[in-house]
Amino acid sequence: MILPAGFCVTWQKMRKYETFSTSADMGIRFKGGDFRELYENALRGLNVLLFGANLRGTAGCAAVPFRFHGDGPENVLVNFLAAVLSQAYQQRKRVAAIRFGQAGRSFLDAKLLVIPCRRPPKIEIKSVTYHNLRLVEAGGLMRAAIVFDV
Amino acid sequence: MSPVARNFEEIAPGRWRLDKNADRAMQADAEVFASRQILQQALDDASIEQVVNVACLPGLVGSSLAMPDIHYGYGFCIGGVAAFPADGGIVLPGGVGYDINCGVRLLASSIPVEEFTAAAESVGYAILQRIPTGLTPRSNYRLNKKEFQRVLSGGAREIIRNFSGAVADLDGIESGGCLPFDSPGVISPKAYERGAPQVGSLGSGNHFIEVQAVEEIYDLPAARVFGLEKSRVAVMIHTGSRGFGHQIASDYIETFRKRNLAGLKLRDPQLVYASISSAEGRNYLQALNAASNFAWANRQLLQEDIAAIFERILRLGRDKLGLRLVYDQAHNIAKFEKHEVAGRTAELLVHRKGATRAFPPGHPDVPEKYREVGQPVLIPGSMGSCSYVLRGTAMGAELTFSSSAHGAGRRLSRHQAVKLAAQSDIRERLRKNGVLVFSLSSQGLKEEIPEAYKNIDDVVAVTVASGISEKVARLRPLLVIKG
Repeated sequence: MILPAGFCVTWQKMRKYETFSTSADMGIRFKGGDFRELYENALRGLNVLLFGANLRGTAGCAAVPFRFHGDGPENVLVNFLAAVLSQAYQQRKRVAAIRFGQAGRSFLDAKLLVIPCRRPPKIEIKSVTYHNLRLVEAGGLMRAAIVFDV
Repeated sequence: MSPVARNFEEIAPGRWRLDKNADRAMQADAEVFASRQILQQALDDASIEQVVNVACLPGLVGSSLAMPDIHYGYGFCIGGVAAFPADGGIVLPGGVGYDINCGVRLLASSIPVEEFTAAAESVGYAILQRIPTGLTPRSNYRLNKKEFQRVLSGGAREIIRNFSGAVADLDGIESGGCLPFDSPGVISPKAYERGAPQVGSLGSGNHFIEVQAVEEIYDLPAARVFGLEKSRVAVMIHTGSRGFGHQIASDYIETFRKRNLAGLKLRDPQLVYASISSAEGRNYLQALNAASNFAWANRQLLQEDIAAIFERILRLGRDKLGLRLVYDQAHNIAKFEKHEVAGRTAELLVHRKGATRAFPPGHPDVPEKYREVGQPVLIPGSMGSCSYVLRGTAMGAELTFSSSAHGAGRRLSRHQAVKLAAQSDIRERLRKNGVLVFSLSSQGLKEEIPEAYKNIDDVVAVTVASGISEKVARLRPLLVIKG
């Protein structure tokens, strides 16, 4: 059986981020104790889907500013991950790390540390969707799942 | 799966209905065209929930529908159809999908299968060499801003007028290959940036070019009208509006959210909508037309590239090749159409996401040459299985706003498919079955193994049994170029 996006009965046991598949697409689940951790874990999950690897050292990286003020964390997440995809496919750069300025419920002000991709991404992720996307806050943790259009 | 979704009743062969009273939020019934097995798969992968969620949208005309290739999407299920009144209704980008006017183009030819088979490998290499596939962001066509604008306004017409192609082809393209677009301002600079370099490229994922043999004819008069002859070669092209359509969809989902979020009670935020008459609704529909035109232009260019390769490799002139467009149809689109609703003609905005338009015989929007038999309906299979050509029916007009299936529909996730593909050499296995496969991405090939899809024969059997389309011909793959 294919589990729908966001379906996970073991959030507490889950690692900081996980990837999953729906029948046509792919996605990530992630959690964090605060918004910085949440956004960073979302980036880690996406990097695993794109490059099969987590964030790496920042030597040789250039900084690209990312500033977004939206209507909530879901809105910030979608636009943040869309910017990461844009780096990967349009600029051919991998976001290796993130330096936070400010991160909150409806805003993210950060520097994306990017480095040219040695290899193209493993898959073509075309868009970040809002499908069933709702930030859940419980037990001091925030968690969400995002489905990508592949 | 909610218990509600289990309450589907079979009201006719291959037609399952969930009454709107099953769930307090439902505004209309939900109907799925499926065999018992396909329905079970849809219950298992939660796509039925998505059909129910669409039935909760305001102003839905008729039922929330799902075609026999139903599978899990985002917001809308894939294979979903929903119609809203043109006057006072809503439009939702999630009901179209990201790859706006993703669609299929079928070419018939006079080439005997044996003649092609001898040259198949060379043709495969030549297509892979000439046509950009996979992740590559650039095509062979370098369009400046003005040229790109003209493509967005003129679609396939612009390609035929200024690049190459036959004017007669336009007859065989849904909407003549062009929807009205005259508002460049409704498209973001990002969409222009992503789209302009990609006109004339195949893309990745399930997009493909397939050379096929017409293996079986079920309806000889209709096949003759469509120009399909047994044991001759046909070519199928499956691609869409590339990054351009994706960016437009993303942009307008953001716009709709900003304007409407507080006022909408949505089961899934991906189903965000706007009134058709609102500024953002009108702008989205304009942008959708531009992306549709991009996709028709894209498939037109690919057709011309393929024709040139056939000429060169098979050493035959265009006349002898007899390559001619049978039909080009969209399966991710929203269009204004007239349908009979409760005995009256109503103008509706019909959203089809992974569903094919299938107008019946006599419909004024079916090209004149096909009007007697109905619109061709193209249902591609997976790369190891056959594809089908069907035709629209009067019953389809009555039951599904003239909609039909668009493909086999995925059964396995990409992870599951890759795991399964590791057990055998997919290229070799298909070669033994007479199918040559070319792809620059072995990962992509593994994700697209035939087992990842439902059995196309089952999908077509339900489509026919429920009366929404009739079989015309079956096409067997000879050569597959995967994106």
